[in-house]
Amino acid sequence: MQLWISQGEVESIKGKFPDILEERGDNFTSILINKKQLIELLTYLKEQLNYKMFIDFFCIDYPLHTPRFQGVYLLFNPEKKRRVAVKCWAEDNSLPSVINLWKGAKWSEREAWDMFGVRFEGHKNLVRMFLWEGYQYHPLRKDFPLEGYKDTYLPSLNLKEGETPAHNYDPYHTPLPSMEDLERTEKARIKKKNQIVLNWGPLHPGTHGTIWFLFDMEGEVVQECDIILGQLHRGVEKIAENITYTQFIPYTDRMDYISALCSQVAYVNTVEKLLGVEPPEKAKWIRTMMCELQRINSHLLWLGTYALDLGALTIFLYTFREREKIMDIIEGIAGIRLNSTYIRIGGVAKDLPEGALDVISHFVKDFPEKLKEYETILTKNRVWLKRNVNLGVITEEDVYSYGLTGVVARASGVPYDIRAIQPTDAYDKVDFEIPLGKVGDCYDRYLVRIEEMKQSVEIVKQCVNKLKDMKDDKYISTENPYVLPTLEEVFNSIEAMVKDFNLRIYGEQAPEGEIYLSGENPRGELGFYINSKGEGKPYRLRIRSGAFYNLQVFTELIKGKTVADAVVLLGSLDPVVGETDR
Amino acid sequence: MDLLGTAIFLAIKSLIFIMGMFLGAAYLTLLERKFAGHVQQRPGPLHVGPHGFLQPIADALKVLTKEDLVPDNVDKVLFYLASLMAFVPAIMILAVVPFGEPFTIFGIEIQPYISDLNVGLLLALAFGSISIYGVIFAGWASNSKYPMIGGLRKAAVLIGYEVALGFALAGPIMMAGSFSLREIVEAQQGMWFIIPNILAFVVVVFCVLAETGRTPFDVQEAEAELVGGYVTEYTGMKFGLFPLAEWYIATFVLSAITVILFFGGWQPLPLLGWLPIPEFLWFFIKVFLLFMFFLWVHWTLPRYRVDQITEMAWKVMLPLALANILIVAVWIIIFG
Repeated sequence: MQLWISQGEVESIKGKFPDILEERGDNFTSILINKKQLIELLTYLKEQLNYKMFIDFFCIDYPLHTPRFQGVYLLFNPEKKRRVAVKCWAEDNSLPSVINLWKGAKWSEREAWDMFGVRFEGHKNLVRMFLWEGYQYHPLRKDFPLEGYKDTYLPSLNLKEGETPAHNYDPYHTPLPSMEDLERTEKARIKKKNQIVLNWGPLHPGTHGTIWFLFDMEGEVVQECDIILGQLHRGVEKIAENITYTQFIPYTDRMDYISALCSQVAYVNTVEKLLGVEPPEKAKWIRTMMCELQRINSHLLWLGTYALDLGALTIFLYTFREREKIMDIIEGIAGIRLNSTYIRIGGVAKDLPEGALDVISHFVKDFPEKLKEYETILTKNRVWLKRNVNLGVITEEDVYSYGLTGVVARASGVPYDIRAIQPTDAYDKVDFEIPLGKVGDCYDRYLVRIEEMKQSVEIVKQCVNKLKDMKDDKYISTENPYVLPTLEEVFNSIEAMVKDFNLRIYGEQAPEGEIYLSGENPRGELGFYINSKGEGKPYRLRIRSGAFYNLQVFTELIKGKTVADAVVLLGSLDPVVGETDR
Repeated sequence: MDLLGTAIFLAIKSLIFIMGMFLGAAYLTLLERKFAGHVQQRPGPLHVGPHGFLQPIADALKVLTKEDLVPDNVDKVLFYLASLMAFVPAIMILAVVPFGEPFTIFGIEIQPYISDLNVGLLLALAFGSISIYGVIFAGWASNSKYPMIGGLRKAAVLIGYEVALGFALAGPIMMAGSFSLREIVEAQQGMWFIIPNILAFVVVVFCVLAETGRTPFDVQEAEAELVGGYVTEYTGMKFGLFPLAEWYIATFVLSAITVILFFGGWQPLPLLGWLPIPEFLWFFIKVFLLFMFFLWVHWTLPRYRVDQITEMAWKVMLPLALANILIVAVWIIIFG
């Protein structure tokens, strides 16, 4: 399905900006513009052509080109449902900041500064996103060594003098911030005498992971909030540049570890589109089914922890009871419970085991009743209403400006669902509704998620019915030159063995080109941009994380609210730190 | 000599009450854990002793033998005092709670209460208020942000609910014409005080939940927001005393007082008076049912925000308690 800007619109841009350079591909269409006219063009796109939703911003490093870095802006037109990419070379290692056009650019520009060292003129708070202040290097540059720069002598803390270490360790490390640094930042924040700075996190039961919030509080009211990310930053994008496409699949699991299958499907779909691989019909239906099961699983975990944050401990155990059943189903099919690595380029790793469909159909028959149970406890509960209604209202304008996606966008009444806009797999063949909220408060987000679980059950039912007739079909299209053969084929034919060897050692030699494709994760749009230079590994892989963008709006919503509201707001935005930090 | 004898006798009786309450509280933890377990579709403690029956003893041993960490920069005196301040007043309320009428065994008259003061109820209220200091001291002495917020929250909640509770208790006192808990029970021979005092009962239920920090009102230790609230810095038995005092002893004692005030104390349930059940057992059955009600609420509902709680205390509970006084006054004028 063609989702990129139409030729006519590009012509109209060309009439206004004659210097632009259009690069049109099947999967990616970009407009290259010089730095001076960038803001003008973006304003034109936003205001005249209605590309008002901010999807992503990232940089690409071309060490041999001057200027070295290229910024890429991805925008979306919610009416025509089309995307456009705007590219701009960062002359003098700097670009104009677009935070006046889209507030959502705040963090992605900080990330670009952190990872590439590109400065942004006009950015109000250009500090590092994931790494700490004072770190001198920019890791996503092509000349940054994989092992990092080891320049600080940091002997093991447990080692006594004269003791020989039990294992051979390297006492030189990448420099780290000290406790004194942290205290200094805390002191610098206090503006009034009656303020305290509350360190909420990084290890706090309310943050659901290692996010670090700084609340400047007067009494219990949060006046100012800053979020410090990076405690779980593993440099996934850097890792991706050094391994083959197949090898990267397990890393996608470990980003959003609660909805691993959805992330895999989003990634593998992107790679397949780039390689031109068409998975067999059965694999598509399996993927859709697994994705929806994972969505129910993820929403159940969300409901449980959300209720737990609000003090309703019992719901937590009820939802985990149901979640356990899905975990068992996933374990039975994929062999692994959490980080399943089940999806492969060209299909899925294993065929469905015998009886899997029976178990699933039993589960989907059973589940709506349990969902009703949760709703009787929560939906009309006065305490629940008091805590949720009219809290953290997100307007439609905010959705576009911050690039909010997923449930957060839909609860505000924006029908932005990748499953409908750009259906992959079997989503164009299944029937489902997109629940929308009216107000955009925490209660709407709760209702939308509950409704989404019901819709997912319907989708799973349709998939099960369809899969029952596909019992003996192929589940992976190994005849394609890019697809790894199954183990059985490797053992039985020499051609398959050679192919397996080639693909594993040299990787899938993807054709040159660019692609941006996304999947509807339970936490928002998970997009993958891949820039291939015809090698077995991506030249640049950018992950557009839904949770990363959704979390940005938190600092706005929390102002003037109490700490008790912070848990509710954070819970309703539902970030997973593995994905925000990558 | 007579005075000394009374003193020794009272001391022994108090000791029996305290030991009984300790053991009772220990088994109330088991009761709560079992109850919560079954609410949440899990068996609860199961492995220590038959069906987990020795679990409280194992818990007590664990808590007592844990390392007692005291952070460096706490106010040591208040820090130690706080856990006692929370615990001791809660158990001192027992001094005025009667468990039944005096009865005679082997010719000795036994009074199932420590003292029958004519200001019993006032004393119970006063002790209840003192235990709040424990929480506030704990929050302040810990010299840490989360406990401080927890302690202040609890103070804000309790100021509101103490007032409402005081007014709510006025109704039964007016009807009985006495502050003595025993006389209040005796005054309920014909009819339980729940009948005209239904509003006061509602207020008291909310107040008990708020005072004991059970779920819709457990803001002071909301674990998702404040880690552990005012007990964040505590360890070992100093930590153990807080939940023991708040969740078990205070809930139990306040349930007992509620039963005495509204449900006729140790009088049998209506229409069941012919059953061969002794008085104090009736009393315990009622207390047990009320205690279970509090557990049930605790394990079902989400929690309010602290400003919503105080708002409810002043805007709903206080007017309700005052309205109750009016109703009771009219009732007394009409029915005498």
